[in-house]
Amino acid sequence: MEKLLDVKNLYIHFNAFAGSVKAIRGVNFHLNKGETLAIVGESGSGKSVTTKAITRILPENAVIDSGEITYKGKDILNLTEKEFTDIRGREISLIFQDPLSALDPVMKIGNQIMETLVLKQKMSKKQARERTLELMEAVGIPEPKKRFNEYPFQFSGGMRQRIVIAIALACNPELLICDEPTTALDVTIQSQILKLIKKIQKENNLSVIFITHDLGVVANIADRVYVMYAGKIVEEGTVEDIFYDPKHPYTWSLLGSMPNLDTKGGDKLMMIPGTPPNMLYPPKGDAFAARNRYAMKIDFEREPPMFKVSDTHYAATWLLHPDAPKVDMPAHLKKRIEQQLEEAKKYNG
Amino acid sequence: MLRYIVKRVVAMAITLFIIISLSFFAIRLIPGDVAGENAAPEIKAAMEARYHLDRPLGEQYVIFMKNFLSFDFGESMTLYPRRPVFAIIRDKIPLTLMLNLFSLCLTIPIGLICGITAALKKNTAIDHAISAMVVFNVSVPAFVFASILQYIFAYRLGWFPFLLNLDSSLSFSKFVSMILPILALSFGGIATITRYMRAELFEALNSDYMLLSKSKGLSKVQSTLRHALRNSFIPLCNVIIPMFMGLLGGSMVVENIFGIPGIGSLTAASIQTSDYYLTIAVLFFYSIIGLTSMLIVDLSYGIVDPRIRIGGGKVRE
Repeated sequence: MEKLLDVKNLYIHFNAFAGSVKAIRGVNFHLNKGETLAIVGESGSGKSVTTKAITRILPENAVIDSGEITYKGKDILNLTEKEFTDIRGREISLIFQDPLSALDPVMKIGNQIMETLVLKQKMSKKQARERTLELMEAVGIPEPKKRFNEYPFQFSGGMRQRIVIAIALACNPELLICDEPTTALDVTIQSQILKLIKKIQKENNLSVIFITHDLGVVANIADRVYVMYAGKIVEEGTVEDIFYDPKHPYTWSLLGSMPNLDTKGGDKLMMIPGTPPNMLYPPKGDAFAARNRYAMKIDFEREPPMFKVSDTHYAATWLLHPDAPKVDMPAHLKKRIEQQLEEAKKYNG
Repeated sequence: MLRYIVKRVVAMAITLFIIISLSFFAIRLIPGDVAGENAAPEIKAAMEARYHLDRPLGEQYVIFMKNFLSFDFGESMTLYPRRPVFAIIRDKIPLTLMLNLFSLCLTIPIGLICGITAALKKNTAIDHAISAMVVFNVSVPAFVFASILQYIFAYRLGWFPFLLNLDSSLSFSKFVSMILPILALSFGGIATITRYMRAELFEALNSDYMLLSKSKGLSKVQSTLRHALRNSFIPLCNVIIPMFMGLLGGSMVVENIFGIPGIGSLTAASIQTSDYYLTIAVLFFYSIIGLTSMLIVDLSYGIVDPRIRIGGGKVRE
């Protein structure tokens, strides 16, 4: 399959008052054409920083130490700002977490969408206006002609996110990066927005990177999943690999801490003890070791490499080493997965 | 909108009434005599009779208010005897207005440019230099500036005259003599505008909508011009509009230092000579300017900011 985007060995740190925060510590991933990728992890694991690096909108105190981000064979990091401005918005688009503050409060909605078309695509005002109305229609804004002349404060959160999506789609991008696009929205609106993104992806054959900490969203939308922890990818695989055969203890904890419909009042949800490590001083060895019930001595000393589970499935945990003791995933998680598999069988059969 | 304006104007009238009443009584607390200390008793008695000063204070107040409400603001007693105060103020306005207008022509562009530069180059040497200038200008009062300018450029170097040239037309020599007062009047304003502009623009530059406009593919210049500046100008109304209204007010101290016969020096002189009605009239004038500019600022928000213009606080779901 053709690789659209390839990130290799990316290291990023932030210069903060207290010292340098190692936000990204050797991230590798790739995105195939037309596929949807999910990057999952808790707050502060470096998901957003990775996407900001891809679109080169990192804050000024961020430093890319090393690594390559190849988009269609071009190393993005080596392009000049001017060259990249042509790619950004036109080929790679971004949808933000918070649609409430992402729109310019004093500019009419229509003009905000039109802006790119006129300035980047060099369309005439009339053409741009027509295209804008089409876009607004496509993202499900009722009465686009009337809404065109309204301001962001006259829109609800979900409607604003639709506008942000319309802006992202304005120039027919090939790669759409969604950085937690539903986090700031109501649950009912969330599913609408997800459906919309899915629909748009199918219609325009987009490649999508989906950043989220919501595993429910991942199961719904992604083809492949990367699990991130403390600035590193700890497990990667297809959705089936990650949800039905997780290998990394961190993935176990994430899956186990998610309630589902069968969760009863008396059931205990699994919880991950402790807090993520302070990335001013990244721990030696496996960053998750301190919170990991299954941690071994070596976890505190040496960082685990990526072990291959199958052609699509890799995980960075010493438990996969041939010499490691055989540890199975927690019993209740196993039970739950079996249940889900059965249900899936029923559903499909 | 109309109802709002009417409400505000009524409130303004009440405020003005209170201000005039207070100043009427407060001014009597200042020691001093209308006729002067060495005046003959007959002259003193005649003056007191003419201005009703021989009546009890309460009665004086009633007479004064009656006249005031029928737009008879009284006449000057000591400074320009027998001239109506209205005419005096009207004569003083043009000079003050001209000086302050020149000063604003200097203040606003320089303030905006400094503020924008500082915000765009935040935390560089340029920003630090501008910030130092701002702190200096804000903390040194205008009369110190005026005295220093006068000492250096008029006394030591002799480039400019000490006092304002009082030609009636705007000749070149008059303009030259206006330069020092204009500078002295401008420093504070420049600092204020710079400070606001820098803070507002910096906040706008770091907002989410700037990130979006960057990710849309707009260049830095495009997104700064189209989004950041536009947003940061709105709160700036608050600062710049009162400056325009302040044009009429003048500066008491600076006008005195450069011998400018404007509104500012009139205020000081009228208080010093116990010219009661003139003082009240000048205070009244200042109050009207202040209150009107506040009203205009509030109304201007409604014009400039669509959130207030259209929404009026309501958000549609």
